[in-house]
Amino acid sequence: MSALSPAAVLHSEWIKIRSIRSSFGSLLAVVVAALGIALAVFPAIGQPEAETGEMDPLFWIYYPVNFVQIAAISFGATAASSEFLNGALRNSLMAVPRRNLLYGAKAVVVGSAALVMGVVAGFVMFFTANAFLGKYAIGIGDPGALRSCFGAGLYLALITLFSMGLTFLLRSAVAVLSILVPFILIVSFVIGGVSEGAATWLPDRAGQQILFQEPLGTLGAWTGLGVTALWTAAALLAGWWATRRRDA
Amino acid sequence: MTSIDITNLTKEYGGRRAARAVDGLTFRVEPGRVTGFLGPNGAGKSTTMRLVLGLDRPTSGTATIGGRPYATLDEPLRTVGALLDAQAAHPARTGRDHLRFLAASNGLPARRVDEVLEETGLTSAARRRIRGYSLGMRQRLGIAAALLGDPEVLMLDEPANGLDPEGIVWIRELLRRLAGEGRAVLVSSHLMNETATFADHLVVLGRGRLLADVPMREFIDAHSHPRVRVRTGDPIRLRATLLARGWTVGETADRDGRWTVEGASAEEIGAVTAREGIPVFELADERASLEQAYLALTSDAAEFTALTPQEV
Repeated sequence: MSALSPAAVLHSEWIKIRSIRSSFGSLLAVVVAALGIALAVFPAIGQPEAETGEMDPLFWIYYPVNFVQIAAISFGATAASSEFLNGALRNSLMAVPRRNLLYGAKAVVVGSAALVMGVVAGFVMFFTANAFLGKYAIGIGDPGALRSCFGAGLYLALITLFSMGLTFLLRSAVAVLSILVPFILIVSFVIGGVSEGAATWLPDRAGQQILFQEPLGTLGAWTGLGVTALWTAAALLAGWWATRRRDA
Repeated sequence: MTSIDITNLTKEYGGRRAARAVDGLTFRVEPGRVTGFLGPNGAGKSTTMRLVLGLDRPTSGTATIGGRPYATLDEPLRTVGALLDAQAAHPARTGRDHLRFLAASNGLPARRVDEVLEETGLTSAARRRIRGYSLGMRQRLGIAAALLGDPEVLMLDEPANGLDPEGIVWIRELLRRLAGEGRAVLVSSHLMNETATFADHLVVLGRGRLLADVPMREFIDAHSHPRVRVRTGDPIRLRATLLARGWTVGETADRDGRWTVEGASAEEIGAVTAREGIPVFELADERASLEQAYLALTSDAAEFTALTPQEV
């Protein structure tokens, strides 16, 4: 590999993620949480909840996403914030002074890693939940099933990059986590309850339409994911703009 | 042969009440010698280095390496090795992983990582987290990172910081060797006596401006006053004789019985004492140290000393 080739910089970014426990741990936590939450929830209340029929049967299977996405957010945030601890970005920029290349390579590595782990988590959630759902189980060939497994991966990758972009903008994982986690756990939930209209367009709500058998509201499964992709693109652009302009 | 060229470099911080950290700076760091980069805290040494590396953007002027801005170099780590802040490595990584990601980004073979670890004496600590490193070990890791690409230009900010006495001897020899191999070496320091042991050339900054850009020997000569130390068997006559001839002699002798004569050379004093028959046991010119020359330069600009901003 020649110096500063995209392949070399991608390799370097992967070493950065692997070598920091908080980043790599959060990445692994995406799958671990998917399995753990599914095992904690479905044997106990999987069937009773499905029986009520209040919830979309496919979306119920992805209940663990509520927690898995927190792992994804913290992966995106720590992968970015490791560059701001003690001015570590200076080391990175000395090695790779082309800021667009550095930022782009990080986004590609973080996004790809999250996508792979996200898809694995999608299938893990699907099959784990179904193992305990008895007559309410959904087959992988049923409408929307396969779409939702891959969709879960795409959604988690987008949320990860959303978090990474915001962290580059704010230069602090703590700031981003203390905005996004309460937002996703509380605000989105509350607004969702009050007004279904506006909440549909929130980054988490919109993208999660991909996990429904029959998506709610005006957005379809893929358009919903597209809306999340736009949020992510905006966050990544903001992070890129900040990285390009600022003194390191 | 690659040099660092700095031309009319200016960096202002802040908006309307802009402070100039670097102000119209022009100098060149030549290959084959160690250039000592001196100046009080806040004089703009670190800012200049950051500007050379493209980490900060200059308000005006240019800084190039071999004629090209750092950000356009094809092989940055093979061209320039820099140590800016040994604390900047992520504490959760091992020393080895820190060097591995740097090497990978520039396509350097993994073998280089082990070589520089060996060279800086960090091999046994390589797999420990940087969090547990002492200041001296972090400094060695920073130097290892600078050496990684076997670069033609080295730029080190206070490299002796935190090193133990053996480490200081090691860094001094390393700097001499690197310059001897034809590399351009720029080393900032505020330790004058330390700098005097390795520098060939000096660039001195004050409040962001260039105060001097001269060979070290010339700098010391230009900023030191001649002075002689003499030990005698008859101090009373010596003093009286020299004072009568208009020289300034210290009020008392030093602990070893030597008297200081300002503004004189050993030849002059030797001639006088011989003529007068004053017994002399010891007579020597005293060369000013780099520290004295530096302080003479900075006190020449008294206004400058008073207004030097303190680094926070």
